[in-house]
Amino acid sequence: MKRWKSFLLFLTVMGPGIITANIDNDASGITTYSVAGARFGYELLWTLIPTTVALVVIQEMVGRMGVITGKGLADLIRENYGVKAAFYMMLGLFIANFGNTVADFAGWAASMETLGMSKYIMVPIGALAIWMLVAKGSYRFVEKVLLLACLIFIGYIISGIMAKPDWGAVAKSTFLPHVKWDAEYIYLSIGIIGTTITPWMQFYLQSSIAEKGIKKEDYKASRLDVIIGCSITDIISFFIIVTCATILFPNGIRVNEASEAALALRPFAGDYAYLLFAVSLANASILGAIIVPLATAYYICEAMGWEAGIDKSFKEAPQFMGIYTMMIVAGAVVVLIPNAPLVFLMVLSAVVNGLMLPFVLVFVILLINNSKIMGEYVNTKSYNVISWSTVVVVATLTVLFVLATVFPIA
Amino acid sequence: MALFGELFLSEIIKKPIFDPKGEIIGRVKDVMVVKGDPLPKISAVIVQRKGQHYLIKWTAINIFNKRIISSFLYADAFEQYAQGEDDLLAVRDILDKQIVDANGAKVVRVNDIRLEGYNGTAVLIAVDVGMRGILRRLGAEQSSEKVMKFMKAQLPHNLISWNYMQPLRPELKSIALTVPRQMLSELHPADIADLINQVSREEGAQLFKDLDIETAADALSELMPERQAEIINSIDTEKAADILEEMQPDEAADVLSDLPTERAKEILEAIDKEEAEDIQELLGHEEDTAGGLMTNIFIAYPSDISIAAAIGRFKKDAEELESVYYIYVVDESEKLVGVASLRDIIMADPHAPLSEVMKTKIKSVTPDTNDMVVAEIISKYNLVALPVVDTDNVLLGIVSVDDVIDIILPPSAKRGRRKV
Repeated sequence: MKRWKSFLLFLTVMGPGIITANIDNDASGITTYSVAGARFGYELLWTLIPTTVALVVIQEMVGRMGVITGKGLADLIRENYGVKAAFYMMLGLFIANFGNTVADFAGWAASMETLGMSKYIMVPIGALAIWMLVAKGSYRFVEKVLLLACLIFIGYIISGIMAKPDWGAVAKSTFLPHVKWDAEYIYLSIGIIGTTITPWMQFYLQSSIAEKGIKKEDYKASRLDVIIGCSITDIISFFIIVTCATILFPNGIRVNEASEAALALRPFAGDYAYLLFAVSLANASILGAIIVPLATAYYICEAMGWEAGIDKSFKEAPQFMGIYTMMIVAGAVVVLIPNAPLVFLMVLSAVVNGLMLPFVLVFVILLINNSKIMGEYVNTKSYNVISWSTVVVVATLTVLFVLATVFPIA
Repeated sequence: MALFGELFLSEIIKKPIFDPKGEIIGRVKDVMVVKGDPLPKISAVIVQRKGQHYLIKWTAINIFNKRIISSFLYADAFEQYAQGEDDLLAVRDILDKQIVDANGAKVVRVNDIRLEGYNGTAVLIAVDVGMRGILRRLGAEQSSEKVMKFMKAQLPHNLISWNYMQPLRPELKSIALTVPRQMLSELHPADIADLINQVSREEGAQLFKDLDIETAADALSELMPERQAEIINSIDTEKAADILEEMQPDEAADVLSDLPTERAKEILEAIDKEEAEDIQELLGHEEDTAGGLMTNIFIAYPSDISIAAAIGRFKKDAEELESVYYIYVVDESEKLVGVASLRDIIMADPHAPLSEVMKTKIKSVTPDTNDMVVAEIISKYNLVALPVVDTDNVLLGIVSVDDVIDIILPPSAKRGRRKV
């Protein structure tokens, strides 16, 4: 428990906002933005503004619950809706996050191959390093590694500026909504929302805010932190789209993966852009692969009331160590098996994420309106109108995204 | 009118309850619990019928087991029940909540509650905190048992007797026993701090309120600063003052410096005058300096007294000290002139004056010295404590090696709490 605690405390001290921004742009998010930029140029940029608004509305509520109750979302669901709701929620979270872990290892493997290293060497090294870093690493070392990892995200902003986009066109596409009745266009625009607003982020944010022990009086500062964090998330997404849109789109190059984007950038934008993109992807992937399994194991154990903690042995905390180790080992192995059902796992993860999101959001709204839990900090009537409509729109779009993923339109 | 044998709460929830004619009155929604001797007992069953809640008193219950629940009375005999905050309801207030297992010193979650028949009443005998409880509520206990049997393994029972249950919620206090509270106080303060760290702020404060002053003071010093401030802020001034008095003045000063100024003043005023002065002296220093680290409780004698006299005085003075390794020697204006370790003193000739055994080459720092520099000096010269003096060499306090270790390697409970 101890080292894990201090590790997470470090993450929260930096401001949950920054961390949220960093881990929200995981391997699958970066892929979506790269694909969107290369396929439609600047045309999808405007979707980032409503996405940011929705993200702020939802995360503000989650953050407020963290401050007022001092408890995580998994805790509150278990205590107020019983073991069944909590169990199925955690089962869903586990499946979805296993998919996320696989996606992160796949992103790590792809970026290593892009940089000219064999994935058969780098994936086991990465997995072992992650496991050791948390299980055996010194606290101070972990701290430095993660701080560095968070800074690398700036790489995307630099490559976006280096691409020398036509800022006038960028501004126009960002602020003037433009809907195109094209199946792929709509799929990608919903995809941007789907990869930005995920169920597990809500669990993550609430717990990290509860963890930070923010007092009710300081809630305003914390709200600002959430807003800044949401903005940073989408600023990074913005620059990924801008880079791919400026360089790949006019040359008619389509990509399917984030690592492909890095390679495709090389002939047009030079080695720096290529390196920045590849290293940033590697960084985002490994950061995700560190935090996702750990956080998942922790939420599950908490909701179920199992012993949890990194410094505990398999015997003392079998469920915790089991879930954590299994996610890393299986995640790494799946990526290395030739012909492994990678795509199936990603789709499954996206589907489970999409199906869970409406439930998570409804729980959030019900909990935040429960005056027994929130006291005077329940939603106001007008805010409820905004939040319910956001939730309904986001939930509907996600379900559409799930349908489109399962039944692709040619 | 009685429960025979045992059953789990989850086995009766949502079960129909019959009137004497066999008509369904409603379905079991919850059970009301009151204090009983020796264990809390069920005083009434809350029944749901067409969205309305009704209360059936235990005395009106005829049969109560996991297959049949029935009443002597008919549906029209019962009053509607509006859920009151003062009532204790097992499903609403106990199930799925966290409690402390005082025996295992762990925070656990209540997955189910075991009831047992006792003298015609149904008493709460234990809480199920294991996998079985979860499976039972998911309706998968039996099938899982079969699977486990097939794999030649057993599904363990994991019950905590009510005797060891320490509640974290105020409403449960009315039915809690005093035994676990005593057991909790016997735990190591660092373990208690760990428990407090594992639960939410309010629950942590709740747990803390149950500790006696001495244990509370020890546990508080093991917590991280924000948590200390929160907890002290949440308890009444009198008790806060008592706890801070019990702590070392340097630790008490640390806690107070994290509180809002008004509140700190209020508590300081309630503290014993002498202790309050010691604390006040320390409050003026920055946290990351020797002044912020030091305690102003130490042993210092004039150089001209004999070893025997020094030992005599030491026996009296050392009583209130946490740990002591050195006797400092000061002149009449309280300037530091020497130091003698306890070992030096004990080995020396009792008739010799203190000035004969003391060492005069002393390492010391000023209050504004950076804490890392203090750590380096203590480490380099292998000291157990380092004196802090002002520019005139007047002894102000000492920084002990324990205080320094806390900077380099914060105690686990100080570093943070569970979760992400």
